[in-house]
Amino acid sequence: MAEICCEEAKSTPATAVAAASVSATAAAAAAVAVASSALERRRRRLEMRRFRVAGDPEAPVAEDVRAAKRQRLARTLSSTCPDAGSGSGSDSDRPALPERLPRYGVTSVCGRRREMEDTVSVRPDFVPGTSKQHFFGVFDGHGCSHVATMCQNMMHEVVADEHRKADCSGEETAWKAVMERSFARLDEQAASWATSRSRDEPSCRCEQQKPLRCDHVGSTAVVAVVSPTHVVVANAGDSRAVLSRAGVPVPLSVDHKPDRPDELARIKAAGGRVIYWDGARVLGVLAMSRAIGDGYLKPFVSSEPEVTVTERTDDDECLILASDGLWDVVTNEMACEVVRACFHSNGPPAPAARANGAALRAAENGSAAAKGVSVEDSDKACSDAAMLLAKLALARRSADNVSVVVVDLRRGI
Amino acid sequence: MDQQGAGGDVEVPAGLGLTAAEYEQLRPTVDAHHRYAVGEGQCSSLLAQRIHAPPAAVWAIVRRFDCPQVYKHFIRSCAVRPDPDAGDALRPGRLREVCVISGLPASTSTERLDHLDDAARVFGFSITGGEHRLRNYRSVTTVSELAGPGICTVVLESYAVDVPDGNTEDDTRLFADTVIRLNLQKLKSVAEASTSSSAPPPPSE
Repeated sequence: MAEICCEEAKSTPATAVAAASVSATAAAAAAVAVASSALERRRRRLEMRRFRVAGDPEAPVAEDVRAAKRQRLARTLSSTCPDAGSGSGSDSDRPALPERLPRYGVTSVCGRRREMEDTVSVRPDFVPGTSKQHFFGVFDGHGCSHVATMCQNMMHEVVADEHRKADCSGEETAWKAVMERSFARLDEQAASWATSRSRDEPSCRCEQQKPLRCDHVGSTAVVAVVSPTHVVVANAGDSRAVLSRAGVPVPLSVDHKPDRPDELARIKAAGGRVIYWDGARVLGVLAMSRAIGDGYLKPFVSSEPEVTVTERTDDDECLILASDGLWDVVTNEMACEVVRACFHSNGPPAPAARANGAALRAAENGSAAAKGVSVEDSDKACSDAAMLLAKLALARRSADNVSVVVVDLRRGI
Repeated sequence: MDQQGAGGDVEVPAGLGLTAAEYEQLRPTVDAHHRYAVGEGQCSSLLAQRIHAPPAAVWAIVRRFDCPQVYKHFIRSCAVRPDPDAGDALRPGRLREVCVISGLPASTSTERLDHLDDAARVFGFSITGGEHRLRNYRSVTTVSELAGPGICTVVLESYAVDVPDGNTEDDTRLFADTVIRLNLQKLKSVAEASTSSSAPPPPSE
């Protein structure tokens, strides 16, 4: 057992190096191919992460590569030695965690838009000194990508900081305050981005304008903190979080569209107007009523998040976070059904197959008959689900970037 | 003067932000360049922006048909179409292709330079194509100097445009005015910043 473990660990660097050398084009091609072997599936998953990086020129590449590598190594150890936590040999390789890392899949694609302005942030065990709390965020930028990139880089740190200050023990009101303060801090950071940007940050188009004015740049933010007992969601904008519980979708956020009755009333009370100009828009300009940034539309476009705290149950299957590039063309029901099909290895998901034929056929899963689902299979199922959802959105001609995070919430794995 | 005034009171358009005296100075410019024969299904509007910078400095920014992003929001890129006859000269008839940033109800705009008068400081363009809902949009921008203590330049921008199906005149005016007001505010920032950086600081009292 120890030898197998060491063997597996040794193979990681070579694979990582090989993956790192894959070009963006090859990665894109690989993303379309359906892998037939376990090794191919593992490599493809890493390539998909590379593809995400390639698709987002603003992303900090080194950080993503390190994160992907660490993540992959951790999962490999887990899958090879289910009892790794108690094995003394394994302890020397990596500090044992009370619980294993979360199982999730991520896909982020440019789609039919000219530029990639979505970002995704996944931060396992993100609160220092506390384990079992994992951060997931989807940020859909508009106007430019730097606000979404800033949220990707900073939101989890700010939430962890506010969580520490609040000594948050899980009450709903406490989490609401933590999230509201976090979003407000990011909003302030967006407003002062032009003057406070550090030298080594990658530049974007706004740099070319002098004096710098970036009031017209913003981002949605849908954020989830998953603990063993609760799922906390904070949302500003029209990205969305959906829980699948016993096959039934449970929305954990409600889109902030300007014509949502309570949002419309709030905007009017503040002296603004909503007109239908290619959809409902604040002052005819912006198609969402809340966002991080967009200083020029304050106070009509607010950064205050709506927060939900949901207790986890044994019936919970998954959590899906995605940008409106997905939700504009896929219902909550269909998204949950796609994920469920991937989890149950039930062959190609029926609705997707009907809509898109063989192109979306899921890879055969050799362990379909297995009673328990291994961590490896769970990771694969989550990644496959995220990929399938993105493909479905593109096939339905979504006109936007598409970013999807699927988190496995099943217990007993 | 009183006898002349007896003919009628000066009416300053609502929301312009100018005093009656200021508007009176600008009236010849308004009459010459900011009047439109607006038919049914169209609307027009006039906006003003005070800028504490020399009119020549403001005009140098406004007249850049090739580089509107210096003072306009929401522009991702702009390219002037090559014209073998004109070379680099900016003159009426030139076209530019504007790409708009994401998140807005437009993606591209093809715009024609209609008027460029350096002596009178009059700039005019119209939108001839692109993906947006502003049909038959025509616009004129003028840069005027106001007499009085201190430097005061006033930029007037006006437009006429069709009202799209499904929207009202108010809707259309709100959308266009919002964009123009933001642009004029940015023009003020850019012009005042460039003036303050190049001129020696005034002696403090």
